[in-house]
Amino acid sequence: MTPAERLRTTVGHVVLMLGVAVSLFPFYWMVVMASNTTPDIFAYPPKLLIGSHLFENMGKVLDNVDFFGSMLLTLIASVSVTVLVLFFDSLAAFAFAKYEFPGRNFLFGLLLATFMIPAQLSLVPQFVTLAEFGWIGSLKALIIPGAANAFGIFWMRQYAKGAIPDELISAAKVDGAGFFRQYLTVGLPVLRPGLAFLGIFTFINVWNDYLWPLIVMTDPNRLTLQVALDQLNGIYGTDYSMVMAGALMSVIPLIGVFLIGARSFIADLAAGAMKF
Amino acid sequence: MAVTKTIPVTAAVREETAEKPPNRFRQAFPQYAAISPFFILFAVFGAFPILFSIWISFHSWDGIGAMKFVGFEQYSYLLGDPKFWQAIGNTMIIWVLSTVPMLLLALVIANALHNATRFRTFYRIAYFIPNVTSVVAVTLVFGSIFSNNFGLLNAFLQSIGLGKVEWLTQPWGIKIAIATIVTWRWVGYNAIIFLAGLQAISADVYEAAKVDGASPRQTFWRITVPMLRPVILFTAVTSTIGGLQIFTESRVLFGDTNNIGGPGDAGMTIVSYLYQSAFIKNQFGYGAAIGWALFILIVLFSIINWRLIGGNDSERLTSRAKRRADRKIAVQKGAAK
Amino acid sequence: MPLSRRTFLAAGAAAAAAGLTGCGSRSSLGAANELSMWTWVGSVNDDLIGQAEKGIPGYDGLKLSMTRIGSNYKTKVLTALAGKSLVPDIVAINDDVATYFPNADQFHDLYDLGAKEREADFLPWKWKWGVTPQGKMMAYPMDTGPTALFYRTDIFEKAGIDIDPAAVAQLAPDWDTYIALGKKLKQAVPGSSITDNVNSIFSYRMAQQPKRYMTTDGQYIGDQDHVREAFDLAVRVVKEGLSANAQDGSTDADAVVTNGKLVAFNAAVWWAQLGPKNAAPKTKGLWRVTAAPGGPGNRGGSFLAITKYCKNPQAAFAFISWLESAQNQAQAFLDPVLFPSTPASYTDSRLSAPDEFFGGQRIVDVFAESAKKYPGAYFSPYDSIIGQPLSAELVNVETAGKSPDQAWNDAQRQIERELTRAGAI
Repeated sequence: MTPAERLRTTVGHVVLMLGVAVSLFPFYWMVVMASNTTPDIFAYPPKLLIGSHLFENMGKVLDNVDFFGSMLLTLIASVSVTVLVLFFDSLAAFAFAKYEFPGRNFLFGLLLATFMIPAQLSLVPQFVTLAEFGWIGSLKALIIPGAANAFGIFWMRQYAKGAIPDELISAAKVDGAGFFRQYLTVGLPVLRPGLAFLGIFTFINVWNDYLWPLIVMTDPNRLTLQVALDQLNGIYGTDYSMVMAGALMSVIPLIGVFLIGARSFIADLAAGAMKF
Repeated sequence: MAVTKTIPVTAAVREETAEKPPNRFRQAFPQYAAISPFFILFAVFGAFPILFSIWISFHSWDGIGAMKFVGFEQYSYLLGDPKFWQAIGNTMIIWVLSTVPMLLLALVIANALHNATRFRTFYRIAYFIPNVTSVVAVTLVFGSIFSNNFGLLNAFLQSIGLGKVEWLTQPWGIKIAIATIVTWRWVGYNAIIFLAGLQAISADVYEAAKVDGASPRQTFWRITVPMLRPVILFTAVTSTIGGLQIFTESRVLFGDTNNIGGPGDAGMTIVSYLYQSAFIKNQFGYGAAIGWALFILIVLFSIINWRLIGGNDSERLTSRAKRRADRKIAVQKGAAK
Repeated sequence: MPLSRRTFLAAGAAAAAAGLTGCGSRSSLGAANELSMWTWVGSVNDDLIGQAEKGIPGYDGLKLSMTRIGSNYKTKVLTALAGKSLVPDIVAINDDVATYFPNADQFHDLYDLGAKEREADFLPWKWKWGVTPQGKMMAYPMDTGPTALFYRTDIFEKAGIDIDPAAVAQLAPDWDTYIALGKKLKQAVPGSSITDNVNSIFSYRMAQQPKRYMTTDGQYIGDQDHVREAFDLAVRVVKEGLSANAQDGSTDADAVVTNGKLVAFNAAVWWAQLGPKNAAPKTKGLWRVTAAPGGPGNRGGSFLAITKYCKNPQAAFAFISWLESAQNQAQAFLDPVLFPSTPASYTDSRLSAPDEFFGGQRIVDVFAESAKKYPGAYFSPYDSIIGQPLSAELVNVETAGKSPDQAWNDAQRQIERELTRAGAI
């Protein structure tokens, strides 16, 4: 390495480290605020170090909102949607990727066209439709409309095309396996890494969703975590440390889920984007 | 879209081709069944509501009582509604304030990541974490950082002798605060996408540029950026669609006050206005009409993006860059002889 | 209408997804043995609610299931009504009860449930507010919101002002003298404010007027002098630097009470709890109340309505008439300082007990005076459409320095557009 190159590498790391600091600082600050008292935060100059009131503040969160109830509700919704999406999307993707059938290209084109439709366009009519079904306020409103999506099918199809060898399918057919059996025995095992990505992606999206649950979860005793957190802020906005303790508690499980699969998740996401 | 390779011809397929068309459909029943969940759900919760929203937008309706047919009145109101235009203006400004720094920073970070040989996994995860963190939690943190009276940012400004800025009450302060949150959440995501694009560029091209004596800066602007065009198009389109739908940041910062996006409605985005119209003021008809306006805007901007950055133009440019690189390699080889 | 929403939906939904719709639940929120009720924080006495949560008086098999909603209350009620399922049995409604009148069919007529017998117990103007122009009783009175001047004695002393309530009332009988007083306070203790934000001045000035935005026969009067005067007054307080610029719903809103910036405030009785008692408990003993500058007024004070989804309207009515009896309203005055709408409560000994938070003052005297003299004003179904642009523009004046005339004109233009669309003018 020439001195110039070494310098460039060092500068590169300095830039990257600065970026990392900016990227992670809000998390640090969240912990600082969640672990100090509100007067400490309001003081000038503010406290910049982690304090000792974290558990006290967390306790206040639990006193004021049904935090674990919201978390359980969000977990049920996220897991249900994820499981349904994984099943429906991979099944459809398998059919699209590996089988010829009349109208396939047309149907796939139609599916891609639905990408263009912003969710907000149907916000009002979707609410009204669910109101007529009698689903407003219930978990069905969070789970069923999102049980299959175009993105997942598109993504899994790209994956399935390359990953599943045609020979395996023909072999299964020769053995007399029907379509569903072929999906189970040939498709699913090969698609597993792709499913891992789609699963994490879906789970994170449902967990973090705000606008839709804000509108459809009308029972204040059954709120998703994001809406409950917003509520906590709306009511006790002046108690910064408690609100931040709530934010921290809502963020930790998700970051945990993410970190488990982060490495391949990021690689898969980048690879997927390149295919568009 | 490439057409998938046909399944190997088996006895069943041969039999199928010999039969009349209706049987081909019956034969494909399992496949239709497999793709049907999406299409059924889309019909019920996507297509039907969209058609229904046209119907709603022709009515004056509070979502509770009787609907009153008003024809195009909601749309004519919309076109003359200063709040609606303000919402579009706000959204555009926030979009520019967030997208431009976001993509530029992402490019810089991606480039640095591409050159880095150590801590790569650490960097990627650290840069990606903001994106998986919920907007609500992130907005709460940034809200406290930007807070007028007790914010960290103002404490910092004061400590270096500058005055306080009323971030959350001044029109520009509000937009900057929202744009900062968006930028922070999406820089890492876009950097990862750019990085994938960078890694797809063949090393030969850089090798040639190096031999040519191009400075790193020249290499970056003359080779890297042009060759990244398809990826830039992807990020530009996704951030446009995302940018036009900004809602949560403004809503969590300001709640349901009379000014939906803070003082002077300065942070009121199109979706905030839609939400306010439909679910705070209970004007479902008007909300449906705003939804259509948003849809048209998204289509319009996607086309503009595509024209500006993408399409055939981009392929031409990339291939030109490649040709230039090839020529350089040839020259280099010639020199070696 | 030849093609109704319901037939359109039915046709579309049936064609698109037969079988997916299932059977919708159309019942109210809560278990079969529960009456569910929504209200906002600080609008009921917790002991009384606690009793009803064990069993509705007179209906042993039924329990109350109470939800206190902290923010965006009205949005939640309207969204639940539009959602048509899991609607609570009983909802609280604020003084904008008239804005619910177009949807009066969503609620039971309380006259059918025996409300007529109770009418004589209540303040007549308060009762009238809950009855639609068609004579249906949609909402049952809870508390009222008489206004008075709250002030911090410690700050007044620093400014050398006599802290005796009668003296303060004499010193600031109208808004002009009140502003002069505010300036004096600010000089003595920099940063002192006499309002949290511009809109409080506007709202509380409007609350003193005998008329608001519409006449009973549907004429728009929101562009007339009485509104403009309140608008200009609010702007003037801001220009004098006497507003804390803590906008409603911002994180700074409570902070100005906590940090002592707000040293005097012309506000409604319920603010005693939501303001100083909650946000600044350490100021106990430092506050007093006296007659408000500009005269008596009323802001807020709520109602209870029984939705058409209610499982047991008789029991619900029995409950609300019990909760709002003169006896129980007196209890709600002690905590959380809700002012009764039943004159019989005013002679209850519990009301005249000294309040230690106010240095042992008998604050009921001040508010009862205000309630008795309040002129009463007509609320129209369009009042929130009209009020919203006015207060939004006032915020623009305060925070962005918008010219008041421009703000006023913009607000009027917006109101005219919205009223035209709503078919009100």
